[in-house]
Amino acid sequence: MSGDVIVVIVVATALAFDFTNGFHDTANVVATSISTRAMAPRIAVGFAAVLNFAGAFISLEVAATVASGIVDEQAVTPLVVFGGLIGAIAWNLATWYFGLPSSSSHALIGGVVGATLVAQGPDAVIFGEGVVGKVLVPALVAPPLAFLVAGAGILLTYRIAGGSRPGPTARGFRLGQLVSGGLLALAHGTNDAQKTMGVMTLALVANGTLAAGSNPPDWVVVTAATAIALGTYVGGWRIIKTMGSRIHKMDAAQGFAAQGAGAAVILAASHGGFPLSTTHVISGGVIGSGAAKRLSAVRWGVAGNIIVAWLVTLPAAAVIGAFTYGVTRVFGTGATGPVVVSVLILGGAAVLFARRAARGPAVTAAAGG
Amino acid sequence: MLATVVEWGDLLRVIWSSTLVGIGVTCAFAFGVLGATRATDLQRDGRVGEAAIYGVVAVVALVVFAGTVVVGIIVMTSK
Repeated sequence: MSGDVIVVIVVATALAFDFTNGFHDTANVVATSISTRAMAPRIAVGFAAVLNFAGAFISLEVAATVASGIVDEQAVTPLVVFGGLIGAIAWNLATWYFGLPSSSSHALIGGVVGATLVAQGPDAVIFGEGVVGKVLVPALVAPPLAFLVAGAGILLTYRIAGGSRPGPTARGFRLGQLVSGGLLALAHGTNDAQKTMGVMTLALVANGTLAAGSNPPDWVVVTAATAIALGTYVGGWRIIKTMGSRIHKMDAAQGFAAQGAGAAVILAASHGGFPLSTTHVISGGVIGSGAAKRLSAVRWGVAGNIIVAWLVTLPAAAVIGAFTYGVTRVFGTGATGPVVVSVLILGGAAVLFARRAARGPAVTAAAGG
Repeated sequence: MLATVVEWGDLLRVIWSSTLVGIGVTCAFAFGVLGATRATDLQRDGRVGEAAIYGVVAVVALVVFAGTVVVGIIVMTSK
C-alpha cells in the first residue's frame, strides 16, 4: 500500500517535472520566432505546444534512457527517482526564476545520479561510459558545433540573399522560421517527453506494477505528452526574453540560421545515438548567429551567465537530488518523506511564481508585433 | 580514458553531417528567398526571361529545403 502511494507521488512529480520541462524549454523553440516577429508570442507558444504534444507520440520505444546507462538500473528505487525528479524540478525553477536557459535533461540526469550516489554509493553510477561518454562529452561538443554551423550559415546567407530587398527577404525568412521552429518543437517533444515517460515507467517497474522491460502504458504516454504541452503553452516567458533578445537583437535570417543549425545538430546527434540538450544546442546557435555578424553584437555577459548555468546544472541538480533523497529517508522508506518534500517544493514554487507574477509579464504581446 | 568511453567515430559523423546539413539547409532556403524576391522584382520590370530563371532557382532551392525537412522528420520517427 505504502509502495503504491509512493509511486502515485513519483508519477505526479514526474508529470510536474514534465510541465516545468515544457515551460522552461519553450524558449528553445519559440524565442527566436517571437524575437524576429515571425509569430506573435501566444501563437508561437500554442504552435510549439501542439507540436510538442504530437512529438511525444512520434517514437514510442521504451524510454528509460535517462537512467539506463547512467546508473545501475537495479539500484533505482521509487525514492531514488523521486529524489532525482525533485532535484531537476528545483533546478529548473531556480534557473527559470533568474531567466537562465539551462538543460532540463541534464538537471534530471544530475538529480538521479545524486540520489543514486547517496542511496547506493558510487559503484551504482556508471561514470565512464555513462556520465562522461553519454552526457559530458556530447554536452561539450554540441554548443560549439551549433555556434559554428549557425555562424557559417548566417555568413553565407548574408552573402547569398543580402542584396535582395529587405522587406520581402525578412518575410521569407520569417516563413522559414515557421518550419525550422516547428521541427525543433517536434524534436523537443520526442526527446523530452520520452524521458519523462521513461522515468515514470522506471518507477512503475521498480514498484512491481509493470514487468521489467515493459513499454510505457498508454496512460503514461498521454499524460506525459499532455503535461509537456501544457507547460509549453504556459510558456517560460523570462527565458524566452533572455534567448530572444537579451543575448543579441536578431533579424529574421539570424533566427532562421540559429533554428536551422539547432535542428540539424539535434537530429544528427539523435541519429548517432547521442542524447543532447536542446537548450545547449539552440543557445549555441543563437550566440553563433550573432557573433558571426558582429562579435560586439553579442552581450557576452549574458552568454557567460548561460554557460555558467550549463556547467553548474549537473552538480547542482545532483546535490539537490542527493539532499532530497536524504531528507525522505529521514522519514523512513514509506510515503511520509515524499509527501513532506512535495508539500515543501509546492510551497517554494508558489512563492517563486507569486514573486515573479508581482513583477508583471516578462514578454508582452507587443513583443510579437 | 576518453578514448575508450566515447564513440569517436559516431561523434565525428555527427559533427560533419550536422555541419553539412545545417549549412546546406540554411543556404538552400537563402537561395529560395533570393530566387523568389528577384523573380518577383524582375517580372514587375518586364524581364520575363530572367524572372523565370530566378523562379526556377527558387523552386529547386525550396524543394531541397522541403526534402531535408522531410528527411529530418523520418530520422525522428525511425529512432
